[in-house]
Amino acid sequence: MFAPTPRVQVPSAAASGEVFSVKTLISHRMETGLRQDEHGNVIPRKIVNKFICRYNGVVVFSVDLHEAMAANPFIEFYLRATESGRLQFVWEEDGGGIYELEHQLTVA
Amino acid sequence: MEKTRLPGFTRRTVLTAAVAGSTGFASAALALSQPPNDYAVDLVKQLTGKTPTASDRLHLVMPRSFPNGYTVPLTLAIDSPMTEADHVRHVSVLAPRNPLIEVATFHFLPQRSEPRVSTRIRLAEPQYVLAMAEMNDGTLLMTETWVEVATNGCK
Repeated sequence: MFAPTPRVQVPSAAASGEVFSVKTLISHRMETGLRQDEHGNVIPRKIVNKFICRYNGVVVFSVDLHEAMAANPFIEFYLRATESGRLQFVWEEDGGGIYELEHQLTVA
Repeated sequence: MEKTRLPGFTRRTVLTAAVAGSTGFASAALALSQPPNDYAVDLVKQLTGKTPTASDRLHLVMPRSFPNGYTVPLTLAIDSPMTEADHVRHVSVLAPRNPLIEVATFHFLPQRSEPRVSTRIRLAEPQYVLAMAEMNDGTLLMTETWVEVATNGCK
């Protein structure tokens, strides 16, 4: 098993009121729980079930992910630049695993 | 020399018939892309307890056919000013012919995030993919789009 690696692509500066895009990707198998191994045993489900984006502590965008999300889930979304601060990205996995990234945004 | 003609089979009638036939075909094709799909409405009712309204404010953009069911691109956008008084709370994507029909739910915050998102999903077979958006006043908007996949992405 490889360790899931989260990645984001965000501008580091934006004008006040500007809408900017955030591209996120986490390398993750997203095991659906529907597959069987070679002995016919069900491979247990292990997916990233929640993605949260906080902007200075406020949840501005979140996603509930289900089994039908593709492996290595890619999510692109759009935020409005309101103030300079910290963007925090959190992926929550089945079984309680958490992967996080942070990004500093300067709003002029 | 006198020309003999089959009655009712002139150049004019042939052309008229051809035009009528092609428009008939075109309207059938249109009906296919925008079906009054009772099944989808019933499904949403069962899941949410609310009756959805088909809306052109919802844009669900997916390829009409895609070779691979494992990573089908999906873009979703909703026309909304995203003010406190008028905004989208969340949007769910459903794939009714997948073994597990829920795909994802996206939550937005008025004035902070735009109701626009792109991702990649799995589809088990060709089907109508549904998107339903819950607005701040509780109304449920719905749209659907036909996607043909060549391989099962859920195995």
